Amino acid sequence: MKRRLFLASATSALAGCGPIGSALNNNGSVRRILASAEGLNHLLIGTRGLAREYRDNDVDRHFRVNGFATPSDARYSDLVARNFAPYRLIVEGAVERVAAFSLAQLQRMPQQTQITRHDCVEGWSAIGKWSGVALGGLLDMVGLRNDARYVVFRCMDNDGSGNLYYESLDLHQARHPQALLALRLNDAPLDPDHGAPVRLRVPTQLGYKSAKWIGRIEVVGSFATIAGGHGGYWEDQGYEWYAGI
Amino acid sequence: MKVAGRQAIYRYPLLTRASHWLWVLAFVVLIGSGLQIFNASPNLDASDKSDAARRVLAIGSPADGVGTTTVFGHAFVTTGWLGWTDDGMGEKSAHAFPAPIIIPGYQDLAAGRRWHLFFAWIAALCWLAWLISSAIKGNLREMVLRPTDVPKLWPMQAYYLKLRKEPPPHGIYNPLQKAAYTTVLFVLAPLVVLTGLALSPGIDAIANPLTVAFGGRQFARLWHFVGMGLLVGFFIIHTFQVATQGVVNQMRSMISGWYQPQ
Repeated sequence: MKRRLFLASATSALAGCGPIGSALNNNGSVRRILASAEGLNHLLIGTRGLAREYRDNDVDRHFRVNGFATPSDARYSDLVARNFAPYRLIVEGAVERVAAFSLAQLQRMPQQTQITRHDCVEGWSAIGKWSGVALGGLLDMVGLRNDARYVVFRCMDNDGSGNLYYESLDLHQARHPQALLALRLNDAPLDPDHGAPVRLRVPTQLGYKSAKWIGRIEVVGSFATIAGGHGGYWEDQGYEWYAGI
Repeated sequence: MKVAGRQAIYRYPLLTRASHWLWVLAFVVLIGSGLQIFNASPNLDASDKSDAARRVLAIGSPADGVGTTTVFGHAFVTTGWLGWTDDGMGEKSAHAFPAPIIIPGYQDLAAGRRWHLFFAWIAALCWLAWLISSAIKGNLREMVLRPTDVPKLWPMQAYYLKLRKEPPPHGIYNPLQKAAYTTVLFVLAPLVVLTGLALSPGIDAIANPLTVAFGGRQFARLWHFVGMGLLVGFFIIHTFQVATQGVVNQMRSMISGWYQPQ
């Protein structure tokens, strides 16, 4: 009898987790307290070190496709049909010289290659060989103004309801030696499903930071007035802006 | 102090009691939110990157209305319990662990991560404070298993199994208690903290040898899950023992500190 009572109370205590957690999670103050861990993690882990680089035979030949659906609007379809000839990567905002780079111009810049692991926030990971232009080098080319604090990546894909994907890095993260504007994956030009023609790679943070289908880079002093104000599409849905953990 | 006419002993200092109950809270939240996080990718691989060929555990739904749990390639139908479960919105659908035991009680990875990463700090700081205070006060000496306790482990188990009339002589804690507490506090607790850190890209960049030591990122996720399972095992046995061996005396001692020796 005692044993049965014990089992019954243990089971009901366990099954109470979800509903109680849900109720507390709807409370704004609770959420603010929970979110305080992000600042601590950012402070302690920060943007130090280098992500591990792998060998050629560690690469996943069929790199997993994730995230929003490949853009299917007329503009993007036209870019694909014309092999991205009309594409321009616009760099604007708090910069000395606004620039618009064609894909051919980006391809002629010094190229960097990294074989790194992509760690998805969902829990899976995959290894790819990425080549392209170092983000820090590109920022040096356009020159940053004194009020520059964040680099915002404006993407061409949307969530199905018209909300465009975007992401942001602080200048320290943007100048990390492995922050890469990737043009190639596994020795071939990026294909549309993997973010063609230009995607970001930030191997020291979770995968949602590595935005695909970048159309425009905007350097800003603050991202508070952009979309939901949290510095990225998933950040606006409650995910951490600092995605190192 | 006297309880029920016999001399009671002051067994648990305040910090031990406070950390005990804070750990209970953190433990429940970390399990619930951890299962929420697991549900976002309900596979565990013994490898660095995800690799279906080295899959140890997979909880999934091969078809609507069917939940399966696959362990080392052997599939079991677990409909209703794992794989195809209550989604917390009044329906059943393809979710590994059921909504009533995940935090929050519906699919929300972002919120689950917030709960998990906050209470991970609570549990770790609480452990550190308890360790320092116990080391200074000397309580640690009474609960850590020593080589001299090892020969007494079986006699103690034999006593519990009623194969022996008297327990072997021991201090405040018997040898089995010491073994359990030492394993939980100095093996499993560090294991779940280190494996949790090892599967984070930012930590991997700073301390790659840590991730490598556990066999890579996905392997660290597997060890993290195994550590959780062993802690749940301890939790069940521990709660059962408290419930069956003088629950009032046990609970009182962990609240006020005073324990009545049997």
